[in-house]
Amino acid sequence: MQAVCVGSRSAYQRLVKRYLKSISHYAYRLLGNQKDTEDITQEVFLRLWTNAQKWNTEKSKLTTWLHRITHNLCIDYLRKHGRMQTQDSFDDEAADSPSTSEESNEETNDKTKLLREALSALPENQRSALSLCHYQGFSNKEAAAIMNISVKALESAIARAKRSLREKLTTNI
Amino acid sequence: MTLDEFTRIIDLHGSEPAHWPKSLRGECESFVANNVEARMLLNQQWQVDESMAKLEVPSFPGLETRVLNQLLPERNQNFFEEVLSWLIPDESFGKQFWRPAIAACIPLVFGIVLGNYFSFGIGIEDDGFQYWDDELAMLSLTDYTETNF
Repeated sequence: MQAVCVGSRSAYQRLVKRYLKSISHYAYRLLGNQKDTEDITQEVFLRLWTNAQKWNTEKSKLTTWLHRITHNLCIDYLRKHGRMQTQDSFDDEAADSPSTSEESNEETNDKTKLLREALSALPENQRSALSLCHYQGFSNKEAAAIMNISVKALESAIARAKRSLREKLTTNI
Repeated sequence: MTLDEFTRIIDLHGSEPAHWPKSLRGECESFVANNVEARMLLNQQWQVDESMAKLEVPSFPGLETRVLNQLLPERNQNFFEEVLSWLIPDESFGKQFWRPAIAACIPLVFGIVLGNYFSFGIGIEDDGFQYWDDELAMLSLTDYTETNF
């Protein structure tokens, strides 16, 4: 990271390769579609290049800092362009995929589609809290730092999100 | 334990007992064993967790190339950073080892040049020796008769 600070492009490339998957997955879970995810991911790494000197090594880990940039960009994007827009093509692709048992596959696809809809209906902070802790593997403390909220607020957001998902999925299945 | 308390634990830690707080795990397990609503709740959460685990993110072909190929603005480095990156290059430092070596020689060369042109008040020349013939003339005029041997 110090090399990126002094303008090393090869160091920048190494960081892109290391964090691209994690950042794009988090952005996708917040935005719900491929095009916006790619745009935001590109912007995140551009910010990494231009604002590398602003990263404080003692204050946060690099991955936390990058996820925080992603979080802020996604929230800004969602506020500008309205709510999360899920990408139906992925559902269609999943439905078209071959399987041994079509019936169970159909059921799984229905559940997945329902879950995706339920996730997209969650408020941004709940979706983000769930993504960071459940999928991205951050601790509650780290996730709270990324979202710039207290750990208690984060735990509350996760609890509300899980309860909401449970209610929506069980009433629809 | 009440159902509300158990619901709170399920909401926070999920359906997997291994993730429940150690101090409450035994109590939760016996509560589930004796309470139908708790079992139903646990089953519902298990289904949600299972669906969440199956929810995959698509791959992004070409995204890495796109990010790596995007035009990066030139960095506005200050003079110190530019010198530092030239002296200690990130890549192929072994081949560029002459750079810090050259930099280390600069004070030495500077010292030699400075020492050659400036005396800093330290004189090694004695003007008296330039006029040695005058000195001899003066010595010849000295009266040694009164000198006690």
